[in-house]
Order: sequence, then C-alpha cells, then structure tokens
Amino acid sequence: MTEIDTSPHAIVNENLRQVGKNKPRNDAPTKVYGRAVYAGDFHMDGMLYAKVLHSDRACANIRGIDTLAAKALGGVHAVLTSQDLPANNAVMTDLPGQVGGGTKDTKQPILAGDRVRFHGEPIALVAAESYELAQQALELIVVDYEDTEGVFDAFEAQEPDAANVYGDDNIVAAYKIRKGDIDKGFAEADYVLENTFSSQYQEQAFLEPEAAVAWIDEHDILNIRSSTQVVEHFRAVADALGMPHNKVHLQAPYVGGGFGGKEVMTIEVWLALLAMATQRPVKLVQTRENSFISHGPRHPFTFTHKTGISKSGKITAMKITVTSDAGAYAKLSPYILLYATVGATGPYRVDNLWVDSTSAATNNLPTCAYRGFGTMQANTACEAQMEELAKLIGMDSLELRRQNFIKTGDPNTTGQIIRSAVWSDQCATQALDALGERPDNTDTLLYGHGLACYQQSYGRIRWMKDTSESWVGLEVDGTAIVRCSVTDIGAGQMSALAQIAGEVLGIPMSEVTVYFGDGHMNPLGGTSTASRALYMTGKATELAAKNVRNNLLQCMAKHFDVSPGELDLGESKVFVIDDPGRSMSIKDMVKHCASLGVHRHSLEIYRAPPSEGLDPETGQGEVFPDFTYGAHAASVSVDVDTGEVTVIKSVGAHDVGQAINLRAVEGQIEGSALMGQGFALSEELILEKGVLTNGSFSEYLIPTSEDVPDIQSIVLESRSGLGPFGSKGIGEPVFAPVAASIVNAVADAIGTRIHHLPLTPEKVLAAMTAKKAAAEE
Amino acid sequence: MLPPFELSQPTTLPEALSALAAGDGQPYAGGTILVPDLRGGREKCRRFISLAGLEELRFIGHDDEGTTLGACTTIADIAKDPEMAIAAPALAAAADVFAGAMVRSVATIGGNICCGSPSADMVPALLTLGAEVTLSNSEGKRKIPLSAFYADYKKSVLKPGELLTAVSWKPLRQSASHLFFKLARRKGDAITVTGVSVMMAANDGKCSKVRIALGSVAPTVFRASQAEDMLRGRALTAELIEKAAKAAADQCSPIDDSRASAAYRLQTAQALVRRQLTQAWHQASSV
Ligand SMILES: Cc1cc2nc3c(=O)[nH]c(=O)nc-3n(C[C@H](O)[C@H](O)[C@H](O)COP(=O)(O)OP(=O)(O)OC[C@H]3O[C@@H](n4cnc5c(N)ncnc54)[C@H](O)[C@@H]3O)c2cc1C
Repeated sequence: MTEIDTSPHAIVNENLRQVGKNKPRNDAPTKVYGRAVYAGDFHMDGMLYAKVLHSDRACANIRGIDTLAAKALGGVHAVLTSQDLPANNAVMTDLPGQVGGGTKDTKQPILAGDRVRFHGEPIALVAAESYELAQQALELIVVDYEDTEGVFDAFEAQEPDAANVYGDDNIVAAYKIRKGDIDKGFAEADYVLENTFSSQYQEQAFLEPEAAVAWIDEHDILNIRSSTQVVEHFRAVADALGMPHNKVHLQAPYVGGGFGGKEVMTIEVWLALLAMATQRPVKLVQTRENSFISHGPRHPFTFTHKTGISKSGKITAMKITVTSDAGAYAKLSPYILLYATVGATGPYRVDNLWVDSTSAATNNLPTCAYRGFGTMQANTACEAQMEELAKLIGMDSLELRRQNFIKTGDPNTTGQIIRSAVWSDQCATQALDALGERPDNTDTLLYGHGLACYQQSYGRIRWMKDTSESWVGLEVDGTAIVRCSVTDIGAGQMSALAQIAGEVLGIPMSEVTVYFGDGHMNPLGGTSTASRALYMTGKATELAAKNVRNNLLQCMAKHFDVSPGELDLGESKVFVIDDPGRSMSIKDMVKHCASLGVHRHSLEIYRAPPSEGLDPETGQGEVFPDFTYGAHAASVSVDVDTGEVTVIKSVGAHDVGQAINLRAVEGQIEGSALMGQGFALSEELILEKGVLTNGSFSEYLIPTSEDVPDIQSIVLESRSGLGPFGSKGIGEPVFAPVAASIVNAVADAIGTRIHHLPLTPEKVLAAMTAKKAAAEE
Repeated sequence: MLPPFELSQPTTLPEALSALAAGDGQPYAGGTILVPDLRGGREKCRRFISLAGLEELRFIGHDDEGTTLGACTTIADIAKDPEMAIAAPALAAAADVFAGAMVRSVATIGGNICCGSPSADMVPALLTLGAEVTLSNSEGKRKIPLSAFYADYKKSVLKPGELLTAVSWKPLRQSASHLFFKLARRKGDAITVTGVSVMMAANDGKCSKVRIALGSVAPTVFRASQAEDMLRGRALTAELIEKAAKAAADQCSPIDDSRASAAYRLQTAQALVRRQLTQAWHQASSV
C-alpha cells in the first residue's frame, strides 16, 4: 500500500529521458491515418438503430403519449416511454465514478413522465431496423402537451412567486465564505469599486457527437461501447436498470472530444433500455441538432464584485455574490457553483472576504460540466475587476496583480494552505513580454493588449476521496503493458501513460502498449474530468512502474553485485551508473529475472489527499488537492466602424509542474486559445423562453480555422505538482485565463468595458458609440 | 436527417436543359445550400439535376471584351485565378473571405447568384462590375443585367426550365478602384451581416463612374443608386461622401435577426459605404 502523500513534492531535478520532451503521441498514427475506431464506427450483426424523441418545448404537462402508430410501423422493434421503464425511472447525474461518498442526490428522470421541464428533455426512445424507420416512428408519436408557465431567469427563479422547477424554492445549491472582517477591510480601503459581470451559455461543440452501441452478450452481460469520459457510469446504468454492477460492462474507445459534455451520462442508459427491450444490439449516433439539446452547456453566471483597495494597490476586502443558472435539473450545478465560489478571488490572496453564491433552477437547458467548471467564469469576472481596479487607482495592472498574488504557504479563499509553487508573476511577465510592442492605432483600427492570470484546481473535490488504479507489467521480450481504464478523450491520456511507464522502465514509449477505456478488463483509473486524468492515472502508473522497476533492480543488483541504488534503467538497458559499460539489455534482464520468479507486474492505487468538507457557515476547509497557476495574454485590433475584434496574438504561459509530453501540453494551450476566443467573442446559445434558437454550427459560432491567431505556448516547470514527476493538471487550467485576456485586450483597445459576454461586433460598436457620446457631453 | 432524394446526372448542357424542361427537378450545383436546407427541412423538392458533370459550365475566360465565368465555376476557382485580382479585385476579395476552404471548393458562382440570398457574397462585387447573366433553356438563351435578375427576397426572374449558364462583365477601367468588405461575426464560414462593394473611376479630378452595392441589408442585394447619383461627375469631399453614405443607408431596409439588429446593420452600412468611397476615391483619383 502506498502512503497518502499530502506534502509538497521535493524539486527533484531527475534526469528525464523522454518525459517533458516533444514526442509523437502513441495514438497519433492511428488517428492521422484514419484507422482509429470511434464509438459510432462499430457495427454488429442484427443491429438496430435508435432515435430519441426530445421535447420541443421548455415546460409543459404531458397529458398523454400516443405511440400506437409508431409501434405498428414495420421494422420498429421498440418504442419506450416512461411507462415502460423500471419503477424509479431515474438515473444518477451526480459526480460519477466516486466511491468515497459526499455526493448529493441529483437523480433525473430517464424519460419525462407527466411533465417536461426543458427543451430537449427526452420523452420516448425508438429502436428500428434503420435510422430512417426510427425517424419515421418518432414522427408518428403524438405527445399531448399542455403548456405551463415557466421561469427562464436565475434571479426570477428565486422570487417567492416564481414557477416551481426544482425542490421547494428552485435553489439547487448555495455556499458562503466568511473570512476575516470585511467591514474592517472596507474601512481600511482608499477606494471601493463595485461591478457586475455576466457570461453566457457555451456549447462544448465536440467534434464527435454522442455515440454508442449497446448489446447483451452470451454471458448475459450488458455491454455498452460509448463515447464517454467516464467508464464508471456502468454503476449508474446498472442501478437505473436494477441490475448488479458486475453485469454491465462499459467501454470507451477513442473519444472525439468531451470537454465536460460527456462527463455526466449521455445516451448510455437509453441504449441499455433499448437493448434489454429488443435483445438486439442497438446503436445511436446523435445528430448535431439533438446533441445541442442533450448534454448540458456551460452555466451562465453573474458575479457582483465589490472590492476595497488601498492607494498602493493592496486589496483590503472583497464582497462577491455569485449566481448561476442551473436549468431544469441539478446535474453537476452544485459542484460547479462550489468551484466558482472557491475561485471567486482568482489567483489573489484576500484576507477579508465575503462570498454568497446560489445556483437556481429554471426551465432553461440544464447546464453542466464544461472545461473550467465554474472557476473559469469566476476568473473571467475577477480579472475584469482587477483591470478596472488598476485603472481606478492609476496603477499598471500587472503591478497591481503582483501586489496581491497568492503565494506558496498562503491560505486561499477556504483557508487551504497552498503548498505547490505559484509562478503567477513569472508566467504573467513572460506572456505579456511575448506580445511585443503595441502597434499605433490607425483611422480604422484600435489596438489593445490584455492579460489575465488564474488559479485553477486539478483533481477532484477531496471529500469524494478520489482514487485511481493502474497495472504495469513487463513482458519477457522487454516490452511493457499498462492496464488502466482511463478514457482517452483526445488530450493524449493513453499516450501519457506509455511515456510515464517507459520513462520509469527505461524503454521508449513506443514499446509500451496501453489498454485503456475499458472498465471491466482494466483496473479502474477514474474519470477523464477535473484535470485529474494525468494527475491520478499518471501517478498510479508511475507508482506501479516503480514497483516493477524496484523488483527488477533488486534482482539485478545481485547479478552485478552492487546495491540497487547504483543501477539505472535507460536506453533499453540496465546499467551500473558509475560504470555504464557493465550493462544488460532490458530484454535479457526481464528474461533473467523471470527465470528467477521475480514479480514483473504491479497493480497500484493512488489516493488523492482526502478532506472532510467545508464548514457550512464560514466556507473554510480543504476542497482541492492542489492548483495550477499561469497567465494568458492577447493582442487584438478593433474595427472602429464595425466593432469587429480580431485576435492577433494569443500567448499562454503556464507552470505545468512538469510537462509529460511537451507537444501535448502545447496542444492543450493552442486548443484553449481558440475555445476561450470563442467564449470571449462569438459563442452564445440563445434561448427564447427556454427554447434553443441557434442549435446548429451555422448559427452557433465557434472559431474556425480562418479565425486562428498567432498562438504561442510558454511552458514553465516548477516540478512542484502532485502528479507524476511533479506535474500539475493542465487541461482546464490553460483555458481558465484565455477569455479574460481577450476581454481585457478589447477594453484596452476601446477604452471602455463591456460587462456581458460575448463581445459581439454589435456590442463593441455600441460601447464605442456610447463612449463617444459620453465624451461629447 | 438528410431525407432521401433523387439526383440525375446529365453530362452535357443540352441533356441538362431538356431534363429541366421536362420538369425532372431543380438544379443541384455545389449543394452547399441545398444539402443544409434538405437536412433542415426547409427544402421540399426531392428531385434534382446535378450540374457537376457539365464541364462546359466550369470555366473562367478573360479577353478584351471582358471576363466570363461559367455557372459551375467554384469560388475556389475564382480565388485561385491569377488574373482575377486585375479583372475584378472585389470579386477576388469576396472569394477570399467566402465561407471556409471546404465550402469554397464546391460552392459555385451560379449557385451563389441563383440562391437569391441577400447575403450572397459574390453578388455585390458582380453588381458593381455591371455584370450580366446568361439564362439558357432548351430553346435558347437570353442575357440580362444582373441588376434586373432579382425580384424579391429569394425570388428571381429565372423561368421554369431556365438555367443560369454564365455571368460576364466588361473590362474594368484600368485606373478604377473595386472594393468589397464583408462584415460578419467571425472570419470563416459566417453569414454576412453587412456586405459592401464599391467600384469607382475618376477622370479630371472628378468621379466619372461609380457603383455601390450592398448585401444583407435588404430583401435582395441592391445598388445604392441614389448615392451613386450624388457622386457621379463630382469631385468628392468628405462631406459629400458622408451624404452619399447616408443616402445609401436610407435605401436599406434591414431586419433584426440572430446575427445582428437592423439598427446595427444600418449603422455599419453607412460607415462601410463611407469608408469604401473614401478609399476608392483615394485610389481612383491618385492615378
Ligand atoms: C458552411 C457554409 C458557409 C457558407 N458561407 C458562405 C459565404 O461566406 N458567403 C456566401 O455567399 N455563401 C455562403 N454559403 C452559402 C453557399 O455556399 C453559397 O451561396 C454557394 O455559392 C451556393 O452555391 P452551390 O453551388 O453550393 O449552390 P446549390 O446549393 O447547389 O444551389 C443553390 C440554389 O441555386 C440553384 N442553382 C444552382 N446553380 C444554378 C444554376 N446554374 N442555374 C439555376 N439555378 C441554380 C439551386 O437549384 C438551388 O436552389 C455557405 C454555406 C455553407 C454550408
């Protein structure tokens, strides 16, 4: 058993042979040559095709559902409504894959019964011989709706006479932080500034829509091969169907992007029900239109910041209220709100702090996990406020940040002491420097530079008691195998494990085969969410590989007549460090050790540092294992006649602890530069009375290849993280400051700030026009 | 879901025209409007005649008489044509900012003209070139000015059985300025919010020729004729340009939609006309 290690890792300066280098990922060839098999690529004999009837309105009673005609259609094998489901008709939508408890009860009906609460709520499932027949059957289903009054605004939802969506009062979750003395803090301030910032819905827009095939095999096991971030959903599927957990086998092949949208269960339980009802394999690949309404987008948030600050730039107090729109079901809203609450002060130390946060239910789309998970929205607001504070007191905004950055050893918002390195200053300085000189404005273009820093957790909420397991073994030919159920959602999760095991065992990553994404054949690695996959599964793999290494080195020490510490593994050899001529190939070494019965395999578990939750009155306690810090800087131009914003340069500088694969890190930074740009400038789901009006890629505008700016990645390595080799999580962190930096750059260019995102040309032009009008008065 | 549909594939123009005359369906060129419309349930027709096999409609011809484009010339063909930057700079510019690389490589100029959309990006530059379109049917063909082609929102004077086979224009005067600006909510694959094209030639310090066309700010792309009239024969000043821009905006009748408000369209139409006239005057009068 491994000790739970909560201390900061020593800065080791290990001599790394492949970790941290630019290595082609193990999954690159199969993806580049188009051989990789995704969930929607599977075909089975006798397979049926599914379609789902989604509600076309946001709130209505269902007086009846007539499925007779649909059932009578030739080639249709099943039409299921809530009446055909197991009595509880509910599926867990809470943080998945946890065994440690601490989760809330946030069950959601699998199919709507007597009421629909949001546009897109599933009502009926069909399985037929073809998609066309299934579609025809859907069109024959008659739902007798009775429209009811709904509520579509998170503030209105909290009014006493608001239509009821959830619980007694539409309050899905609420938190508070009470720290220090804010009255005293405001009394000490030279200036007090209050601002409200709000942000919009954002769609994950993964390349691969939800896709899965479910079938029952010859052992009566229900198998599901799905595009998911979480193979541990097998438990929730089993619970929903009233089956034992060991009779549901969930596999994830390569996943074409998740970004949080495939964290909560998507289509798995529907296919499970249809496969059970028809006893045939059933497949569903969601259309893009249905994908838009069948997983939860990013929460719209509103933050009101009241900040006290001294003339010298020291924050003396912060009072922040946070409101998010949870939509019709809770899903992960309570946790996302918690992240926003903890992250409300960004990467700054604030000793006098008051935060109140609420997530309210509405009849809008249920919102859920999306890269950044509430912290990103909180950070965007906080970094806007920092710029406004700098402007107010006439100080350079980086200098103001420097006055307030949280440091190693400081308590954060919840009183947790930060143990790892905090290189906010270095990152911010380097990112800003990389932008170069700001060009002079022209008659038609205004130029601006913007900066944003952040603090983003990696690893899951500690009272969930997250664990990860991995198995590493050496074959007698000197190649290695890693078994870990981690899902590969495109960020290189699988390849990173090969690299880590290869590093520890002294062989190239190309000689390590990783079996991944299978929750029954492999040890459970846990979810690819919360920037935890590399941290947790990488750590478990590192530990397991080290066990194997130690076993072999002990055996080889006898052979070379040295102590194990005098040996190293590298370049596919075992050798005496001080006398490298004395060596043996790894292949011969493994053979030798195997003949002596040495254990060449190891199953390890890594346990994240646990905690017992927050004090509900003060919000004090330990929430996350650790945090990543860094900065993003952007330069933009704004067209004075149209308000169009062009991002010219976008620079991410992050302390990643230790890069495992430098190229994969750069990939994350580059992808986040565009995802953040979309959030800042053009992406917004538009709902009218809860009904999504722009659920297509011609109306919902993610950046295209033609919108890509000059992107630069600056990677710093403090080797102070909790992950393998001192790495920190980076998937979400590198995204956290991007939008804020672009928003700040636009404010810099036009000399005024827009408080509600995204910054469409129209809003930017209106802000410039208003500023001009104000100046003329 | 894409509904099933029939697609006949003639290989010669006469074959295609007789199929059209027989009412065998609607022309299908690049399909970049038809396919999304079929999928979205907006297109009810289920029988199409593919123009993809008609190589004779895919050409770019430059000579002393001007330029002619076959209807099946793709936007990428136009963007790649080395002479287009001289023959029609604004059209080349429009091709560059049109959609994204994938769509450009299949979308046709004929489809862009015939779809009748007010946001069709090739049309403003063609209007400021004074282009003519050739409409053919199994009996023969007629040539009409593009400015007379549109009747109303997504309505044209194309008769049943008629195919647009070519678009052509006379050479631009060498010193003329020809500009296009596309305002949209992102750089690639975006529907135009306001599109403006200006063509101007100057003589003796006066504006001798001017055409102004606007897209996405009225039911059809149109020529801002009142503004043109104010400028023709005059030496342009900032004041006059501002007046003309105002006149052009007055001729717009934009709507609110999810991309922009009518007010924003009006404001930017005026600003962009002003900007382009200023730039065009600067270029045309300085040679
Ligand atoms: C992602 C995307 C981005 C886009 N971006 C842009 C853009 O930036 N700017 C822009 O202007 N458009 C854009 N479009 C719309 C479209 O690509 C263009 O209008 C294109 O030029 C249409 O040509 P097509 O050959 O694909 O037409 P099709 O879809 O084949 O046909 C369109 C219509 O025209 C008719 N038609 C076609 N050819 C003829 C002919 N020769 N004679 C008579 N009738 C004919 C068809 O019957 C049909 O009704 C975009 C479309 C997509 C899908």
